[in-house]
Amino acid sequence: MTWPRLVRAEIRKLSTTKMPWGFLIILVIISATTATAVIVGEDMDGTKGFIATAADQQSLMAFGANAMMIAGLFGAIAVAREYGHGTVVPTFLAAPRRHRAVLAQYTAIALAGGLLGLVGATLSAVVVAISVPIVDYDFLVSAADLTQVLAASTFAGAAGALLGAGLGAVVRNTGGAVTAAVLLLIIVPPIVVQLASQAADWVPSVLANVLSGVAEQPDLLSALAALAAWGLIPAAIGLVAVQRRDVV
Amino acid sequence: MHQLVVEHVTKSYGHDAVVDDLSFSVEPGRVTGFLGPNGAGKSTTMKVLLDLASADRGRATIGGTRYHELRDPMRTVGVVLEPNAFHPARSARNHLRILADSAGIPKARVEEMLDLVGLTTAATKHVGAYSLGMRQRLSLAAALLGDPPILVLDEPGNGLDPQGIRELRDLLRSRAGDGGTVFVSSHLLSEVEHLADEVVVINAGRLVTAGALPELRQLGTSVRTPSPQRLTDILQAAGATVQARDEQALLVRGLSSTEIGDRACAAGIALHELAALSGSLEDLFLGWTHQDEPTDAAGKEDVRK
Repeated sequence: MTWPRLVRAEIRKLSTTKMPWGFLIILVIISATTATAVIVGEDMDGTKGFIATAADQQSLMAFGANAMMIAGLFGAIAVAREYGHGTVVPTFLAAPRRHRAVLAQYTAIALAGGLLGLVGATLSAVVVAISVPIVDYDFLVSAADLTQVLAASTFAGAAGALLGAGLGAVVRNTGGAVTAAVLLLIIVPPIVVQLASQAADWVPSVLANVLSGVAEQPDLLSALAALAAWGLIPAAIGLVAVQRRDVV
Repeated sequence: MHQLVVEHVTKSYGHDAVVDDLSFSVEPGRVTGFLGPNGAGKSTTMKVLLDLASADRGRATIGGTRYHELRDPMRTVGVVLEPNAFHPARSARNHLRILADSAGIPKARVEEMLDLVGLTTAATKHVGAYSLGMRQRLSLAAALLGDPPILVLDEPGNGLDPQGIRELRDLLRSRAGDGGTVFVSSHLLSEVEHLADEVVVINAGRLVTAGALPELRQLGTSVRTPSPQRLTDILQAAGATVQARDEQALLVRGLSSTEIGDRACAAGIALHELAALSGSLEDLFLGWTHQDEPTDAAGKEDVRK
């Protein structure tokens, strides 16, 4: 009975500061950029080939990679600030079996990350659906494909949030945790692919695109498992670190 | 009954032992002051007691149980540790509601506690805009949220105005009077002197002294006699420690005034003065924490009657 209470407390923590609104503004800005690209942008040949087919439009809407990165930053900040502000002390006084408190926090942050991913993908889909007719094209994405895009972004958001939360628990400093998330999600993957091309299929952006139905390698189940691992492994390391270290 | 027990706790950071083989107990129904100079290891000891830090050796228990094994910690122990353990952009009410959520405490209790500490009108303000005293009041509200029988408070009077200090003192005395266990660290010695029944004093992580404050304040008995040497011999033979203060005055420790008077009478020695001496807590504290042997403090000259 106590664990759902802890999750509720963690959700209240996330919802009683301005941070979620800041991330929502980021999603709106990205959507506005997408709309601008659809309305103003052109291919090299001067046409709007990049929105000509259903696959093109689905690719434009696929928000999974963005969701993972944004939710990763959200998770990193949400956890690291607990240490920065010292609010981790009352948290672990209220729930001294730390694994329960950390798992409750991870659950709340994964839910929030998933919601960010869903909202981001929904906004992208809405702006594409609205802006494509403005430039005299039809909206061609099927309901099934649209659902896949939304689900993929939700899942990627949850995985990204877990990744960030794990990094936040390990690093315990907001700046450091954000830097680690940026390194892990943006800087390191291309470098690894340069060094080992066979790793290209397993970087978060590619995996998120597979889930969104806009890339084909690896297969869907493998991509699902791999993207989950990107979130769960840092989260597990964070959990172990919190269990072993002094809180203050 | 909830006794706090610290048994041979040692805690080091790097090569430095912050707490060194520390043992003491805190009894229910009493207010116990926890004293020591800055860096003595008071906060670390409290963190070990609350399982926020792990001891290298030894253990600390609450009613025989480790803190992390308590079934309902917020309803068992109320804690004030960090005066700034708040998200600055969160309101006081939301801070308390988060804690109430995690322990299944009704929202109505949050409002009661805000009212108790005088923060109802400021409950929707961001904590970042609070003064130190207001944050300290919020910490107390959080500690009392679960109506716990045990209070562990690290410098709870910091930043409080005289009215707040008075209210805090009344609250803690009332809690102890109801059988609660109150363990409070403070550097405000005059406040501890008014508040505490017992004190535990540590220095450099080691126990210096512990016990009932009125007993610890007894520095000894001042005796004035025309036969100081004879009386000294008699009292030393009875196990007392005797220190000459001037030609006819002695400071006697280890025997009560009654025992000293009886022995002098039996030996036919006239006494011109027989008075128990007590020291202020500040005098005692400075003596305890500047010398390895706590009894040396009794030898200070600036004693008062």
